[in-house]
Amino acid sequence: MNKKYISPIIFGFVAGVLMVVPVIKSLGCCLLLPVAAFFSLMLDQKANNDYTKLDIKKGVIFGLITGLVAAFFGTFFDFLITLITHKNDFVITFPKLIETINSFPVDKLTKEEVIGILSGIVENITESGFSSIYIISLFVKNLIMNTIFGILGGIIGVQILNSRNKNME
Amino acid sequence: MSLKAKFVISFAILLWILGIFIEFVIPYFNQLSYAYPFLSRIYSTVCHQQVEKLIVFDNHSTLVCSRCSGIYIGGFISSFILLFVSKLKIKSGKFMIFASFPMLIDVFLYSIGAYNYSKIFAFITGVIFGLVGIVYIYNGFQILIEKNE
Repeated sequence: MNKKYISPIIFGFVAGVLMVVPVIKSLGCCLLLPVAAFFSLMLDQKANNDYTKLDIKKGVIFGLITGLVAAFFGTFFDFLITLITHKNDFVITFPKLIETINSFPVDKLTKEEVIGILSGIVENITESGFSSIYIISLFVKNLIMNTIFGILGGIIGVQILNSRNKNME
Repeated sequence: MSLKAKFVISFAILLWILGIFIEFVIPYFNQLSYAYPFLSRIYSTVCHQQVEKLIVFDNHSTLVCSRCSGIYIGGFISSFILLFVSKLKIKSGKFMIFASFPMLIDVFLYSIGAYNYSKIFAFITGVIFGLVGIVYIYNGFQILIEKNE
């Protein structure tokens, strides 16, 4: 990876770690990722001592990288914690989820199939601490949400940093 | 901002809103039951999903609370109207602050126990905030695009 993208990698990693920290993770990616993308742009400016006008493209790229790295590490740390504790948010909310699915007015076969898949995931997690379906779906979820909010943070971050640097001139 | 870009944003918000109401659609498209757990997890990252604050109709509930539903629906209405507005000129943040007042007052009043949580109030105040909020997001994008051209 090119050295010029080191700051979004660092803040993507930090966001990935924070995504699994209790209390902080409840802030969700809608706050964590935009802030991480913003700080990655700021760190890049400080490291290169370059306070010239940033363009949107850079904000988008930095936000995207921050989101991708956070998605990767967020999923990895969740995987590690699940592997050790054999427990995660999905297992905790499972009874409620089943209750909701049971209330759906859908055919019995579909309902049983969905519940069967979910029960299989919970069984795998509680027994071995690993479920491939869970990890893949978590990674896809993190990938979608983190990149969206990372890019938004990058775009807004460029605007804030440009106006701040303009005022400092 | 080009009409194409505006249309993409409107369509993306519409898709997001449709996801919120997946429980209402499942009786007609049973196969969507498979997507429900995944979508529920996605929306859990943007909303607390407290059961007593969800919009419930005919035993089906939304995947986000009344206020969030209001914000997104308000945002979509605004984004649809903005398809027909060629250029925005917003220089003051006053409207945004005014639009957030009903929401903040509602949160404050029910938090101190002045009245019980009302889904209708939460929804309406959310719609007001969403209607104005999206205009500022569009305006921000417009400024950014113009500065880069």
